[in-house]
Amino acid sequence: MFEELASNGSAWHVASSRSALNIIAAVYGVWIPLGRILGVERVGLLSKGHASMALYTWLAASGAIGVDELKSYLSPRGRLQAHPEAGRVPGIVASTGSLGQGLSIANGIVMASRIDGKPREAAVILGDGELDEGQVWEAAATASAKRLEGVIAVIDRNLIQHTGRTEEVKPKEPLEDRWRSFGWHVVTVDNRLEDIAWAMVDRPRGRPLAVIVRQ
Amino acid sequence: MLVFESYRRAVSSILAELGEEVEDLVVLDADTGRSTGSLAFGKKFPQRYINVGISEQDLIGTAAGLAIAGLRPVAMGFSMFIMRAFEQIRNTIARDRLNVKIIATHSGLSPHIDGASHQSLEDIAVMRSIPGMTVVVPADYMATRGLAREAILQHRGPLYMRLGRDNAVKVYDSDEGFRIGGSRVVADPVDVVIYAVGPMVGISLEAARLLARSGVRAGVIDLYTVKPIDADRIRRASSRSILSVTVEEHNIYGGLGGAVAEVLATSGAGRLLMIGVEERFGASSKDYNELLEMAGLTPRSIASRIEAAIARVR
Repeated sequence: MFEELASNGSAWHVASSRSALNIIAAVYGVWIPLGRILGVERVGLLSKGHASMALYTWLAASGAIGVDELKSYLSPRGRLQAHPEAGRVPGIVASTGSLGQGLSIANGIVMASRIDGKPREAAVILGDGELDEGQVWEAAATASAKRLEGVIAVIDRNLIQHTGRTEEVKPKEPLEDRWRSFGWHVVTVDNRLEDIAWAMVDRPRGRPLAVIVRQ
Repeated sequence: MLVFESYRRAVSSILAELGEEVEDLVVLDADTGRSTGSLAFGKKFPQRYINVGISEQDLIGTAAGLAIAGLRPVAMGFSMFIMRAFEQIRNTIARDRLNVKIIATHSGLSPHIDGASHQSLEDIAVMRSIPGMTVVVPADYMATRGLAREAILQHRGPLYMRLGRDNAVKVYDSDEGFRIGGSRVVADPVDVVIYAVGPMVGISLEAARLLARSGVRAGVIDLYTVKPIDADRIRRASSRSILSVTVEEHNIYGGLGGAVAEVLATSGAGRLLMIGVEERFGASSKDYNELLEMAGLTPRSIASRIEAAIARVR
């Protein structure tokens, strides 16, 4: 379905979307539904909003939107905008598109639980190029300072960003150490649905968790 | 005589009061709680007070998350540094129409010692340009209390409230009668109508008294809701006056003057004199009044500019 969408004239940020497919399936297909069984309200945030092709493909594959609606992708009156918009697309709680902003929003959602007592967790899908944004690290420090164990950052380590390879544009390594030094639990997994989902579910508690998904 | 009160004491007092009755009220700050007055709320309601550290972009994103979760967040900071999160405000708070109140203190020339780096003279223009953003600029202590109460209890959606520091020139005796979207006639206009916001309401009243001595009957309208602006009141008042004047502690471009000019230009209701900080940055001073003099925002300077403008109109 994804490749069909990518080949019918709607190709847009294809590589970024393709590498995020398993992550989106793990977050929306496993981790969030599991939360319903556990009595925890779980939300996903596509901080790398340009991976919308992957998100919409997942939504169509899971029946949340009709397959036919994919034809309206990138049309001005349709709801499948290039960057997903909250309130229009199922499962999208915050509009994204500008990089680096999802993690702060996730922190706020999880902090609300301490005030109203309703259990919530948030998974943020971040691109590795997106980690250049300073706000990611503001939010990483906040999640750590406030010990927000309900926050999970899933990092799509596809090694590419807009103008080239991440390590040539602005190196991200040692990436595990970066997150660990901010007070996060860190685990690196292969880009397989079951590995990503398992890392999110069977996890150390007490601190926020970063799951680095390598290619 | 100008009587100065404190904007931050006003907002501090009303937040502490509202915390009692509004259970989902959460106050956030970017480590400026001692200066903005938000810390008083934090001491009273530590569970509902979040200091995210010196990180304004994170501040706005966190407030967005709290609003998405259904709580009622108030994000506080210095207006200069809130502008650092302009894009987060635009792209998340406004685009998703989140119920986040941004209360920014230390606006205009009010952080008079700190100087240019801290004196926001552009924030009204910046916030006014965002679709769906309500922009409120209370005149004094009582107006701040009344409008903060309205903003938190009655208004849903994004709102930016611009406050100064301790330069609230006293105008009102009560915090009743303010409404988001409204404005207020402080002195009835006859020949000249002066539109003002923030501390310039009190300053303009004093200018009107000076003008009265030379036979010019000037009234003052407090346009505390800069957006959506009370266009009907502007059209009515300006069409009956020989001259309209705006006075603001903000760059003359894009702020109150711009907002009133947009109404007048599209209705043909009269000529406008725009008084404000003219295309420059602030400076340090041990005395706030010295900065008002430098910017030409004292009652005397405002009155003389109005007299000169009237001479041209007549």
